[in-house]
Amino acid sequence: MTRRMFVKAALGLALAGLAAGAARAEDALARVKAAGVLRVGTETAFAPFDFIDAGKHVGLNVDLFEAAAKDMGLKLEWVALPWEGVLPGLEAGRFDVVAGPATITKARMERYRFLPPIADATAALMKRTGDADIKVPADIAGRTVGGQKSSAQLAQLQDFAKTLGKPVTVREYVANTDAYADLAAGRIAAAANSLTNIAYVAKTRPDTFAVVSPPFGPKSYFGYIIPKSPDAAPLADALSAEILRMKADGRLAALQVKWFGSSFDTPDAVTDPAL
Amino acid sequence: MTPDILALLVEAAGVTAALGAVSIGAGLLLGFAVSAALLSRRRPLRGPARLFVSFFRGVPLLVQLLLIYNVLPAVGVVLPGIAAAALGLTLCTAAYQAENLRGGFLAVPPGLVEAAEVAGMSALQRFWRVRAPIAFKLTLPALVGEAIMVLKASSLVSVVGVVELTRTAQDIAASTYRPLPVYAAAGALYVAVDWTLAGAGAALERRLRWGAA
Repeated sequence: MTRRMFVKAALGLALAGLAAGAARAEDALARVKAAGVLRVGTETAFAPFDFIDAGKHVGLNVDLFEAAAKDMGLKLEWVALPWEGVLPGLEAGRFDVVAGPATITKARMERYRFLPPIADATAALMKRTGDADIKVPADIAGRTVGGQKSSAQLAQLQDFAKTLGKPVTVREYVANTDAYADLAAGRIAAAANSLTNIAYVAKTRPDTFAVVSPPFGPKSYFGYIIPKSPDAAPLADALSAEILRMKADGRLAALQVKWFGSSFDTPDAVTDPAL
Repeated sequence: MTPDILALLVEAAGVTAALGAVSIGAGLLLGFAVSAALLSRRRPLRGPARLFVSFFRGVPLLVQLLLIYNVLPAVGVVLPGIAAAALGLTLCTAAYQAENLRGGFLAVPPGLVEAAEVAGMSALQRFWRVRAPIAFKLTLPALVGEAIMVLKASSLVSVVGVVELTRTAQDIAASTYRPLPVYAAAGALYVAVDWTLAGAGAALERRLRWGAA
């Protein structure tokens, strides 16, 4: 290798490095705008947020993100994964934002940024319609109860179970729909999820499922997740502004009425979650 | 079981069949190459081929799919779910088919190969005209079995976001709470796709048996 060649190679490498730096300098918002597509990762077994109805992906998330994308002049691309695969997918850069939504917790806030909350996530129990053995949440003492693996509601169920006199067997499911199916089949006595999810399921199948009042968990909220990196910050700001705009002009409340049966107040941001 | 639910399942069976066909076809070609490398006299070819087979036969397909989907982006390769699924199934079945084909190549009568050599065929001609067709014919029943295994294994690909027959059945069962007819129909559709595959394999076998290899 002559000296001249070495210099050329070094220059080439330096230029390549600069080019790579320039490409990276573009943030997530610029990339999304350039592509004209917002990629949203989610799990499609979380009614009424995301679910498959007669083969079609529907829910509050679909309506909300479609409205947001329309405002921002973007197209939407949905990526449906099992819930355990959704956050790894976000970290691998497979999509720009996670719809979910996920319960806003301290542990998750350390790792991710949440967009403004869009629904209540307080945990409650669902039982089979007409099951007289369970009148209040504490009646699950000594019984088997199901919940979704790695969900905030499952963690609260385990905490709540510790406060009861008799041990509760907690069964973990990949998807909430699997837990509901086992509840309907009589394999478990109750299923834990947010009141928002359960109320919807019980409303659509009143002959099978009923809500156990009151909710047993501390007050919590659902939000969409985006990476905490400086790269993602402009996109996070843009989406947050969009959600707050939909909140201000009543579109969010209209979607809540459509999917939950009523609208409710959510804070503009959760800074210190109870969980 | 309404007609529109059945239509959804049939459509999903199409996804399963297409994914299976692409993976089986690509896996067979790759399997041929890998089996040739396994039987090569050159050690630099043999070693990597053995490593390939032991990895893709030894690691559960579920883990392979998650690796392809979630680890490749770390080195800058972001494959869409359907491509990750096809790649995972292809690599996995290529490893199995390479071993099947290796057995087929070893069973080719050496006299035939020697005769071809005496007749003046080059090594490449001997491979494509004598050894490969005979090995393929000997291996065909095992290859059809492997193809059916791939089709069944494709039920795992929903972990990388591909909605195929099994996932569609789960979605429908979850939204209708009637798992029995839905899963029964899905099972019947798998059998239908299997029969199509096995039938094609049998027809191919008959042709190879009576036709000139």
